[in-house]
Formats: sequence, structure tokens, C-alpha cells
Amino acid sequence: MAEASLTLEEQGEAARAFLSGLFDAFGYEATFDVELRDAETVEVRAHGDNLGLLVGPRGATLAAVQDLTRTFVQRQSEARTDRVLVDIAGYREKRTAALQRFTTGIVEEVVASGEERALEPMGAADRKVVHDTVNSLAGARTRSEGVEPRRYIVIEPVR
Amino acid sequence: MTGVDEAEGVAEAEGVAEGTDDAGNRVEGPTARAVVSYLVGSIVEDGDAVTIDADARGRSVRFQVHVAPEDMGRVIGRRGRVAQAIRTVVAAAGARDGVQTSVDIVDE
Repeated sequence: MAEASLTLEEQGEAARAFLSGLFDAFGYEATFDVELRDAETVEVRAHGDNLGLLVGPRGATLAAVQDLTRTFVQRQSEARTDRVLVDIAGYREKRTAALQRFTTGIVEEVVASGEERALEPMGAADRKVVHDTVNSLAGARTRSEGVEPRRYIVIEPVR
Repeated sequence: MTGVDEAEGVAEAEGVAEGTDDAGNRVEGPTARAVVSYLVGSIVEDGDAVTIDADARGRSVRFQVHVAPEDMGRVIGRRGRVAQAIRTVVAAAGARDGVQTSVDIVDE
């Protein structure tokens, strides 16, 4: 049964403990740091050599590791755990930077052409990166359309 | 990913120490076994009720996971999401051992 709610810090520590055991089972040496990104997001990052196997093709294994980490934390906490993020070997960080560059390029095209652009469907975490990036730029705004897991963002010009 | 080949090399080197059971017999997929056992053990409430059978055929290993009835939902997850995540991570561990893996959550 779920225990009383954990604070975000405690959720981060539970996630670190789970990941530490998982990396041990893999026989990988890794170090971890836990960072509160904001009031409702905690990120656990694993650093080490040759961790690419745990990232997997297009981050698929990393996504599974994050799912299982959240499941583990959920077992111990009644609080929602969808704000527990996991990164391995800096993968998510690099992907976020690439998505920001991609989004900035689309915004420039939308502003220049005056025509909206629909993006491919993407997950909630990636959509948040796109929303935040567009909101930080002038001349365009976002709206979301479609239903999960095919929900997608449209970037439209602001006149 | 670049890590795969290097990781397999490490697994080969460690295979002699890790890849044997208590009786000293060769065990296929030692990393995958350790990982499926760790993941299932971390998710269930009733760890004592967990048994995991491994059936090795050549370079593939099939794991059959048995858990307490009240833990079935936890291990499978909504729309099978937890079971699928277990399969993905165990497959990565199997790649370290040079074996293909499958994971069945057995309903009894």
C-alpha cells in the first residue's frame, strides 16, 4: 500500500536509490545527482562511461527506465510522480537543446511566411519544451491539437 | 548507440565470474537475469511471492515471472505499460550479455 506522500526531495532520493540498484544490476559504474528543477519537478541524472545501452535507440530505453522509476516512486508515495525526470549520460539535455533549436527555426519560418505550421505528434515533456521555447520568442504562439498519444502542437503567427 | 559494442565486451570479460550459477554451471544472460529480478522485486509489494523461471534456448532467454495475484496489476500497469517498460530494459540488459530476451508475466 502507498505510504504517506513524499516531498519532492524524498521522491528524488527514492528515484536515485532505485536507479542506483538498477545500474548495479547492469554492472555499470555511475554517479547520480538529484536536482529540484522547479517547485514541482525533480530530475535525477546518471553520469558514467558507456551508458548508451541504457539510453537506447532514440531514447526508448531511457523512457522505459523513467517509467519504471516513476512506478517505483509511486509505490511509496500517494503524490503524483509525473514530475520525476530521469536523464542518463546527458541525453535528455542534448535532446532538449536540439528541440529548442528546431523550434526556433520553425518560429522564424512562421513569422516570415505568416502561415501556421503543425508539428509531428510528441510526448508531453517535449511539447512543454516547444511551448516554452515559442513563448520566449516574439511573433508566434502555440496551440495543441489532437488526442494523446497523437497530440501535436501548431505554431501560429501573432499579428 | 556507441555504448553497445563496448558494453558487450565488458560482459564477455565478466562472464566467467557472473555467468555461472551456485553449482558452477554456465548461465545464459546473467545481466538480464539480475535486471528482471531487480525490476520485479522493486515494483511488487510481496517480494517473497516472486519466482522467475528462465528458459534458455541458444542465444535467447525467456523469463517467466510469477508474482502474488494482488501484485499482477502493479507489474503489468495501465494498458501494459509497466510490463512493456520491463521488457525494454531487460532487452538492453540482454544486449550486454549477447542474448535476446522475452519476458512473460504469468497469470495463474
